[in-house]
Amino acid sequence: MAAVGSTGVGAVEPLVLVTHDGRTAAHARCTPDRAADVVAAAADDPDGIADGADAVVEHEPGRPRLPALDLSGLDAGDRRVLGACGWRRPTEPADHEAAGGFAEHEATAVRDAAADLRGRGWGDWCRDRPLGGTWDAARAADGDPCVVVNGHGNPADALLLASAPFEVLEGAQAAARAVGGDRVVVYASSDDARAVEAVREAAERYPDPAASVDVVAGPPEYRAAEPTMALEAIEGNHRLEARLRPPGPEKEGLHGCPTLVHTPRTLAYLAVALREGGPADTRAVTVTGDVDAPATVELPESETLAAAVDAATVDGEFKAACVGGRFGGVTRSLDVAHAPEDLAEAGLGTEGVVQVLAEDRCIVEFVGKRAQFASETNCGRCVPCREGTTQLAERLRDVYDRNYDAAGIEELVRVMERSSICAFGEDAGRPARTAMAAFESEFEAHARGRCPAGRCMETTEGIAQ
Amino acid sequence: MSSERTDTADVPPLTEGIAPGTATDPDVSSDEPATVTVDGIEVSLDAGDTLLDAVEAVEPDESVPALCSYDRQEIGPRSECRTCMVETDAYGVVPACSFPVEDGMTVSTAAEAAAEARDVNLDLVLSDHNLRCTTCGKNGRCELQDAAIDQEVEEPRYGVLDDREEYEPIDDSSSFIQIDRNKCILCNRCVEACNDVQVEGVLRMEGSGQDTRIGFQNDAATMEESTCVSCGHCVTVCPTGSLVEKGIEDATTIPIPGFTQKNSVGKTYENSGETKGPMTPKKRPERPDADGESATADEGSSAGDDPGGVWSDDGGDWP
Repeated sequence: MAAVGSTGVGAVEPLVLVTHDGRTAAHARCTPDRAADVVAAAADDPDGIADGADAVVEHEPGRPRLPALDLSGLDAGDRRVLGACGWRRPTEPADHEAAGGFAEHEATAVRDAAADLRGRGWGDWCRDRPLGGTWDAARAADGDPCVVVNGHGNPADALLLASAPFEVLEGAQAAARAVGGDRVVVYASSDDARAVEAVREAAERYPDPAASVDVVAGPPEYRAAEPTMALEAIEGNHRLEARLRPPGPEKEGLHGCPTLVHTPRTLAYLAVALREGGPADTRAVTVTGDVDAPATVELPESETLAAAVDAATVDGEFKAACVGGRFGGVTRSLDVAHAPEDLAEAGLGTEGVVQVLAEDRCIVEFVGKRAQFASETNCGRCVPCREGTTQLAERLRDVYDRNYDAAGIEELVRVMERSSICAFGEDAGRPARTAMAAFESEFEAHARGRCPAGRCMETTEGIAQ
Repeated sequence: MSSERTDTADVPPLTEGIAPGTATDPDVSSDEPATVTVDGIEVSLDAGDTLLDAVEAVEPDESVPALCSYDRQEIGPRSECRTCMVETDAYGVVPACSFPVEDGMTVSTAAEAAAEARDVNLDLVLSDHNLRCTTCGKNGRCELQDAAIDQEVEEPRYGVLDDREEYEPIDDSSSFIQIDRNKCILCNRCVEACNDVQVEGVLRMEGSGQDTRIGFQNDAATMEESTCVSCGHCVTVCPTGSLVEKGIEDATTIPIPGFTQKNSVGKTYENSGETKGPMTPKKRPERPDADGESATADEGSSAGDDPGGVWSDDGGDWP
């Protein structure tokens, strides 16, 4: 009996897995009573574990990763990086060691593995860029480098910290070694209490860490995931705003020291690449929005968004998706691969979050609320973001007053993208820009006083809410 | 720079409690002399110069307002207004005031993307500025007015801040300095003058989003209740009519009968009568917090040394 972390697929949890002799039986959505029955039955008759199970799978005895199960969200193939989630005890070093963890890798080997590995998520200073150049700059900079693990705000990152913290810490230790650093700081949102607790316990139990590890819980605001605001929060500033760049944290970061800022995903991919002698060409993707329960899955980069959305059950009829987190791109088509260049080409984001929008959603309302969110939660430092998001929200509201200035909105979003200090402002206009392209007719209908989704128009008779 | 580090051991005790609320920016100045080309003209720069120095050394093809840049006395670059965007061959569109110079850079001011960004960003600044120049004490000596004239702004595309419901009261409570936040462009010069140059620790940047404003580190609502010593440095660096010296707050207004700065805004914090002007009140030893805690004494230094604790919003005003 062992308590493991979440698999990332909420719809099948609480999940009870019974493993015996190269076979694992899965019991999904277990009540405490049913779990007790399953455990008792398995103790009585270990060969009969398949009875009454929702899925059964054969695998190598002693397998270190969760096997693919015939359950929605867990059937997408081998979880090479998320495999520890729901399979190994999160804070038990022995489990990680049995999976080949805690191996010492030469600094040069780590640097080779990182050279072409791309950073994942907007919390990663090397978002979509190979880590190599940034690491070289950190090594060349004055001062002792440190590694910040930025696990703030992304569901897959929080999952890794909560369910597989040793994967993340091992990647962080390797990164520290590779740049000659002796300090790791793990940073997560205070809203992700489980992640903070798990990684704190794992850090305490990490065998012979070369670099010291501290865990800091930061404020839960969305903007606090921005890499330089993460540094400000760790340094204890009572107010968060983005720092100027360049130079980036790799030259002058935490307390002025050269700092690598990577997400748990990036570091877990690094750890797995070192262990397996090559990177996993997969992506961790979380499906949220109008679905039965959020699901985090791992898919090959060549797989399409449709495969990710298949991991969850859409509430109603699929209409669109916002791809790339809070400020992702809005698309009708899920026929886009997960590789960053494919997503970028389609105008979508690479945050690894796909928010499903069902048929009864109004796109104009959706992007209006996103713009409003951006205007209320930005740090307030730079004009293109602070004033730009405010104007964007107002111009989207003007659509309800029969005034749809597409060219003006496009111009504004273009300038926000080009001249904001940080990624918050660079990305904030993306939902509006992409939705206007994909759902032009909806915007034009609103400008004529009609909401195709039938959600807005009672309100526009008077004043749009 | 916008804020000195308060968590290192070599900071004099005087500055320990200063919390300007701004980010600790990296050093963006170049270490070495460099030669760059601006609009086809070669410019030699000394170490520590910026691209903006290069732009200002020539007659650029297009005017570059660089509204929030001050570039003296260790103030800035804040790089907040983004009206100094220029195009570089190597890095695309960058802010000239705060981009580290590299030898051999090629800069274009007329490139369409950069010109558009400067133009839109200046209009965005104006969108949040109460453009009541005729009753403003800085009429005719205002950097925002100059920039708007240079850029030939006739009709700002996003309008101006003219909704009286949204105006903040004028703070006329001090005997020496008047604050009209409706004219503030949040360039942060006053905060840096107060904290980094005068080391008084009075002003701070506070809030976020549209609520971002210049406030006081002792949480006071008005200048009179703050720990201001009336040195006036903030006034000398303010680019607009947001901070003006009392006595000349209407020096350059255009006399329109019955129309004044105060009635155009409609709300004012007046002097309580408790402080005797013209005399600077004694600086209080600590901030008069409701909970009796000195909100700066137990952060900053401790947060830096011990990142193991849970972050707490220590008397700040956000979220």
